[in-house]
Amino acid sequence: MMRVLLIAGLVLSVLLACGMGAMHIPLLRVVAILLYKLHLHLPISFTESEANVLWQIRLPRVCMGVMVGGSLAMAGAAIQGLFRNPLADPGLVGISAGAALFAVLCIVVFSGVSYYWMNVATFLGAVLSALLVFRLSRSGGSTHMATLLLAGLGINALCNALTGLITYMANNDQLRSVTFWTMGSLGGATWATVAALLPFVVVPVLLLPRLAKWLNAFALGEAAAAHLGIPVKRLKAGVMLLATLLVGACVAVSGIIGFVGLIVPHILRSASGSDHRALLPNSFLLGASLLTLSDVLSRTLIAPAELPLGIVTAILGTPLFIGMLMKQKRQLNTWAS
Amino acid sequence: MMTIDYVSCKAGNRHILHSISATLGAAQVHVLLGPNGAGKSTLLRVLSGEVLPGEGLVLFNKQNIHSRPAAKLALERAVLTQQYAVNLPFTVREVVMMGRYPHFSRQPSARDQELVTETMQALQLGHLAMRHFHTLSGGEQQRVQLARVLVQLRHVDQPHLQGKYLLLDEPTASMDLLHQQLCLGYVQQLAAKGLTVIIVLHDLNLAAQFANNILLLAKGRIWASGRPGEVLQASTIAAVYGMQVSVLLHPDYGFPIILPMQQGLPVEE
Repeated sequence: MMRVLLIAGLVLSVLLACGMGAMHIPLLRVVAILLYKLHLHLPISFTESEANVLWQIRLPRVCMGVMVGGSLAMAGAAIQGLFRNPLADPGLVGISAGAALFAVLCIVVFSGVSYYWMNVATFLGAVLSALLVFRLSRSGGSTHMATLLLAGLGINALCNALTGLITYMANNDQLRSVTFWTMGSLGGATWATVAALLPFVVVPVLLLPRLAKWLNAFALGEAAAAHLGIPVKRLKAGVMLLATLLVGACVAVSGIIGFVGLIVPHILRSASGSDHRALLPNSFLLGASLLTLSDVLSRTLIAPAELPLGIVTAILGTPLFIGMLMKQKRQLNTWAS
Repeated sequence: MMTIDYVSCKAGNRHILHSISATLGAAQVHVLLGPNGAGKSTLLRVLSGEVLPGEGLVLFNKQNIHSRPAAKLALERAVLTQQYAVNLPFTVREVVMMGRYPHFSRQPSARDQELVTETMQALQLGHLAMRHFHTLSGGEQQRVQLARVLVQLRHVDQPHLQGKYLLLDEPTASMDLLHQQLCLGYVQQLAAKGLTVIIVLHDLNLAAQFANNILLLAKGRIWASGRPGEVLQASTIAAVYGMQVSVLLHPDYGFPIILPMQQGLPVEE
């Protein structure tokens, strides 16, 4: 039921996002143009330029929004499951900052590297910082939450400082590109970007739900999960790798977009529970919808200029996040009394 | 049947377990007793397969448990440890169902659902099924976790529990009087179906009431073992715990009852 609703929501968001922008394309025409590309001819007329705008500009951007939003949300849900904490987030544990550092390094120091290699480098940055945080927060075979957050904080600070240093050395053009990374945008979307991102998204999105049952048992703690016969080390390595793959690839094409990975799983947990078998796919669907809609806002609010997407999600996400904290605090107070 | 053969464990240079040997029969409740730091929890972690002993072997039905694949071991032994902090909002029923995870690949069968319902009812958890685990009291949480490890050991189609063993580390520490009796009574019934049960307890009277066999540990060695009446004697308890006690006999059931003397003052050495 939940799944059907979320799929319907995503389809609606995509159609809406395809129609809205500098050139408004009515909903029915959007459907007609999309079906026309599939050689289904509806008795609805549209202009050549509408078809071009939709197919060349808007649709790649919407596809990227779906992939990035879905990936960030699903990676968030998986990482929260792994760290057994609903407040863990790819951003909080340093993955995004590491990725951005390597991206900025590519832009400024090794300017001129191809888009493909930049993708690879950004991904490496994500993996390295994630591994470092994970490594630092473990002692005696178990991960400690407090140490983890502190390690994430430390690595974040280090990466941000280095990113700042490199930014300081950048020239004007490079500075514009750097700004793109730190504020997040889907503006660079083309079919080529979509194709480059696709494998990084499809593989983890298919594999992560296979770990869902294990992630549920992991909520009991590492020892208890091991007693249930779960290969704990493989699970941890698998989730870290797949989540880092997702987040690293997304940051590479869209820069840092915060709060999606934190808010989306949280909304779904309070609506339909923590079972990762439902939570992981549902997070993808809701994250995709929300980011697609946020991107519509980022394109239309101050048109013809664009608001950076990361700023839109932060402005929308922060009040939600604080609201959730307050609710949790109230619950804690009721249990205590 | 479980055979513990000259098991030793070290942390650094300090011996935590020192040449422990014992034979623990099936269909019985074995209780590990001993003061803090005696090595009870470490022994339990060795028996669960979690810790590889420095020396010695643990055999269950003639198989070395430390060379069993984890997935196989999960079908024949279940472990209840002392602490479970579940920070994600899982319901009580979801937590108990996790005990069935080794038995199905994607979705639980109707039989898995039945076993969960049955065990939850036996431990009076039916009314808590839809509550979130982390909102329960400590004693309720212990009952939920006990239900989870009990469903882990159930056969899909057979009522007996032969060839399986259960390890419980202070399962009743936070429970009220009624639920202590209810839970240990239920575990005792399961032992009668062939299950080998090994429980760490601190309450000597619960041990006296429910144990078929007691292993009394002190400083990493087995100080005494045998039936409750043999092990729980005033002189033994004074030597191991440093505490003067009187041992009475239950007027109806005949098991020992241990009462402290000297109002909490330790024995002069």
